[in-house]
Amino acid sequence: MSRRSKSDSRALWIAAVPMFLLALSCLYPFYFALNNALKDNRGYILDRFGLVNDPTFANFITAWSRARFDEYFMNSFTVTVGAVLALLLISSLAGFALAVLRFPYRKLVFVVILASLMIPVQVVLVPFYQTILALDLLNTRTGLILSYTAFFLPFSVYLMTAFYSALPRELVEAARVDGARFIHVWWFIMLPMGRPALLTLAILNTLYCWNDVLISLLVLQDERTLMVGITALRGEYTTNVPLLSAAIVLAAAPIVILYVLFQRKIVAGIATGAVKG
Amino acid sequence: MANLALSSIEKSFGTVKVIKGVDLEIPHGEFVVFVGPSGCGKSTLLRLVAGLENPTGGDIIIDGEDVTDEEPYDRGIAMVFQSYALYPHMTVAENMGFALRLQKQSKKERRAAVERAAEILQITQLLDRKPAQLSGGQRQRVAIGRAIVRDPKVFLFDEPLSNLDAELRVQTRMEIARLHKKLGATMIYVTHDQTEAMTMADRIVVLRDGIVEQVGSPTDLYDDPDNMFVAGFIGSPKMNFVPCVATGDNQVAFGNVPIQLPALNSSLVKGAEYTIGIRPEHLQSDAGQAVSMNIEAVEQLGSTAFVHGDLVSEQSTCRLVVEMRDQRPNAGDNVQLHFDLKRLVLFNEAGQRVR
Repeated sequence: MSRRSKSDSRALWIAAVPMFLLALSCLYPFYFALNNALKDNRGYILDRFGLVNDPTFANFITAWSRARFDEYFMNSFTVTVGAVLALLLISSLAGFALAVLRFPYRKLVFVVILASLMIPVQVVLVPFYQTILALDLLNTRTGLILSYTAFFLPFSVYLMTAFYSALPRELVEAARVDGARFIHVWWFIMLPMGRPALLTLAILNTLYCWNDVLISLLVLQDERTLMVGITALRGEYTTNVPLLSAAIVLAAAPIVILYVLFQRKIVAGIATGAVKG
Repeated sequence: MANLALSSIEKSFGTVKVIKGVDLEIPHGEFVVFVGPSGCGKSTLLRLVAGLENPTGGDIIIDGEDVTDEEPYDRGIAMVFQSYALYPHMTVAENMGFALRLQKQSKKERRAAVERAAEILQITQLLDRKPAQLSGGQRQRVAIGRAIVRDPKVFLFDEPLSNLDAELRVQTRMEIARLHKKLGATMIYVTHDQTEAMTMADRIVVLRDGIVEQVGSPTDLYDDPDNMFVAGFIGSPKMNFVPCVATGDNQVAFGNVPIQLPALNSSLVKGAEYTIGIRPEHLQSDAGQAVSMNIEAVEQLGSTAFVHGDLVSEQSTCRLVVEMRDQRPNAGDNVQLHFDLKRLVLFNEAGQRVR
């Protein structure tokens, strides 16, 4: 028995070493950014890897006010909230329809949605840009909200369909017998029961929308979102790394907080999609 | 007027015909049980009545109104599902009052109706709990309560006791029967358990392969089955079947054992093959045709014993089950059996009853 527990603990240690290295590789960029954000430019040039001696918040203040990060933050916040709300509403309705309702070509519709998951964004950039131009949505936040909704919808619909398909069909039938129209079934039964999956989707889509550069760069050319603003801080020949680091910390902070608060639900939600799909 | 009438109901799933023309009339207040083996179409028939499936042919009439094309909520029915189907995010009271909420009844009216139903089922103390906090039996009561609150024209039960343990099943069975008497409502109950059917039903509908084999009271089906399927399906242990050949107008023989039948309305065809049906408890009468049997195995239940053995004649053997009350038979014993001729039934080669 004790021999067995000894070999168990050895196996645990063997597994722990690569896991520790993996964690280190993930955490080091955070450390690097935060450490350098607190240095001035001279301090960074003298010792870029060493721990900060004389911490200063000047870079954060500069990034927030002089580099217009307050505006960029509001842009990112508005389009992320708008797109995530649209994604949750549409994917919940579509998932309900695909999982519960019986209509012609239902499976074909689902396959088409799945197929669109396989197409990389880069492949459709030109027709996408032409569509944005044709719809007069260039340089509008609405345009960016609609773009995010369109690009991230297939995965959201797939996840909600998988989640709703796994719920017992009798619940829908009981509600129908109780007097519920289909829209009532969605509102009173499926929407509250889909809360775990919707929460996961909300977090994942917030990550996608908040961190996006490419689509935002195309649609919102006069104004900027936070991530595009960060890339603009890099000069052609020189870069103020402490200022860039402060901007990165500011941009990443909401997402890190969100992830820390809901990390268990994110993992549970991803598992839902993988197993029940 | 019938509370519920099914007329030439048919249902196909793709090319597979599951219900093959069912006609049935159920008067108001009757407790009808659909019974049959797995895949016979009994649950499909119930779902057709509920409106959860659309029939391929035929009409469904409830209270004189054709509801064939109506949605489930417009039929005046309530259904209790095998899996309870309680909404997990709602409390017991919210579950029970959900239908009334959809009817836009006030909170006060809803609460009153829910409390009335809860009192009938003695679940008042559970009203603020969530389904996850209830036992299987309690969940089933809530599901029944949800049906009562709707005050439906017809109650539908789809194998509601299947998920309960044996003791709770017997208890809930009696409660549903009591509830039927109290409410006086029409109830249709689906089960594959013939004991449930026998103990609860006013009338039993026996189904096989989408066809109604026989409709009648439990005792009618037990004593006077129309065919070998019904005779074999109703009753536990099942009826004994003894193959025989007609040797006279109302005489048959099992091998070299002649068996004199009671007077029949039709004459037997001499030399044709028939099957005698006799229940295990009718092989122990004082008089009648006597045959001997070697006991192979005994199922001793205390007040009674079921004895298994082979009836042997010159050409063939036939496995029999005999009920012996107040006796202590042992394996290896030889017993004299007496066929109770008044209780003996005869079936032709097609399995249909010869009367």
